[in-house]
Amino acid sequence: MELIVALGLIVFKVAFLIAILLLLPLPLTWLERKIAGHIQQRMGPMRVGWHGLLQPVADGIKLLTKEDHIPADADRFLFKLAPILALAPPFVVFVAVPFGETVSVLGAEITLYVSNMNVALLFVFAVIGIEVYGVIFGGWAANSKYAVLGSLRTCAQMISYEIPMGFAVIGVVMLAQSMSLLEIVRAQADVWNIVYQPVGFFVFFVAGLAEAQRIPFDLAEAEGDLGAGFHTEYSGIRFAFFMVSEYAIMLLVSVLVVILFFGGWNGVLLPLPPLLWFALKVAFFIYVFIWFRFTFPRYRYDQLMAIGWKVLLPLSMANIIITGVLLGATAAP
Amino acid sequence: MSHAGDRVGTWIGWAFFADLGKALALTFGYMFSRSVTMQYPDKEKWLPYPRYRGHHFLKRDEEGEIKCVACELCARICPCDCIEVIPYEDEKGNRRPAKFEIDTARCLFCGLCEDACPADAIALGQQYEFSSFSSRDLIIGRDDLLGKPGKAATGGAVVAARLSTEKDVLVEASELQGYNWWRNIRQT
Repeated sequence: MELIVALGLIVFKVAFLIAILLLLPLPLTWLERKIAGHIQQRMGPMRVGWHGLLQPVADGIKLLTKEDHIPADADRFLFKLAPILALAPPFVVFVAVPFGETVSVLGAEITLYVSNMNVALLFVFAVIGIEVYGVIFGGWAANSKYAVLGSLRTCAQMISYEIPMGFAVIGVVMLAQSMSLLEIVRAQADVWNIVYQPVGFFVFFVAGLAEAQRIPFDLAEAEGDLGAGFHTEYSGIRFAFFMVSEYAIMLLVSVLVVILFFGGWNGVLLPLPPLLWFALKVAFFIYVFIWFRFTFPRYRYDQLMAIGWKVLLPLSMANIIITGVLLGATAAP
Repeated sequence: MSHAGDRVGTWIGWAFFADLGKALALTFGYMFSRSVTMQYPDKEKWLPYPRYRGHHFLKRDEEGEIKCVACELCARICPCDCIEVIPYEDEKGNRRPAKFEIDTARCLFCGLCEDACPADAIALGQQYEFSSFSSRDLIIGRDDLLGKPGKAATGGAVVAARLSTEKDVLVEASELQGYNWWRNIRQT
């Protein structure tokens, strides 16, 4: 009986998470277009619903009813597999991501995470790496030059940026003495990691921008020079899969930044509920992502590589060494 | 010395992304500035200046008779050949147009017909909403042209608009002559 309740709870949590992740792109696309509009002194969508609030729904219906087109010379199996490979990992990752400690519903304490893995951070980086396969397969299978170029760029970009991203979090792991995201947040109860790890945050955030393929690192789908990159040939619901995956990764990077460097659900000054604090911080970073997108131009390809290998990698390594030395110095009696 | 100091300052600024910060501050400021969008046709529409070359209309003289003498100069000068005039002689013995058709689907609104007209009979007015489901509807005949409103006295303003433009929309502007296009542009 106990087992069934526990299993039921996990199934419920997973279903809830999937529902949220699938529905979140709707407000996010609206927000992105609105912010884009206002930054460019336009209004953004205004005609569907109040201030265009129903625009994402209209877009969703449009994508669902569009022809699902597969190019004649495409590798049909990989072409169909790619959107799923791109969509699944960001969803899987959220299994390991905590959103808070516990809430009590009807007298029962419910934990706000699906699982408390002791290697959650490793799991996150391992699984999110799989997402790249979706992008690469998608570009390759479409048998289109633009798509292949986009895929190749993604390949190089992911390899270049996954390494500094992984190094950047080592400092956080050293401070918390744990790879469990829950423990990392608990370790930040007094002082947030951003105070100890500003360089780590910088490297992680920039690498996260590249990981989420947002401007200024959106070379994989550069509209201007590649005409959408790896998903040039995709249409309809498969295209929507890529978009949902992109927004899920954007959310994931925001969530990770908050958990690793901004104290997770630990609040300051205002005694708000922890979950609200968490949501506010994540929302802020999502805003920053969108804000960046409409402020900066895209980096050139060689600049992207130079930033990855010549700036972020040495910085993240120096960060590990300095953190280690300082930790050793303070730990010594 | 101060030049070198400036350069060091610039380098320190770059190291801390002062330039990127400046860009972010700029876009953030713009986000809270007023947007320049005119919500046409939902809420507002632009009423052009009186000098605007919009719809064509034919004028009448003091006795209420059509001014046009059907000389066909407008048809001759028209660069896209969209005016068709067929003259006839009315009961007073004057040359008048029996048929005066303008194909507004082809018209480029250059206003040369207005300039060429020796009788000051044709002119271009303020309306610009010519959308139609059939290009045949866009061929406007003599009687319709006579019924169109003439030159407006005012213009150059944003007025309230409605979606339906089936009837002729003619709104007197409240803010006369001189819409400040730079009103909404943020000055930095």
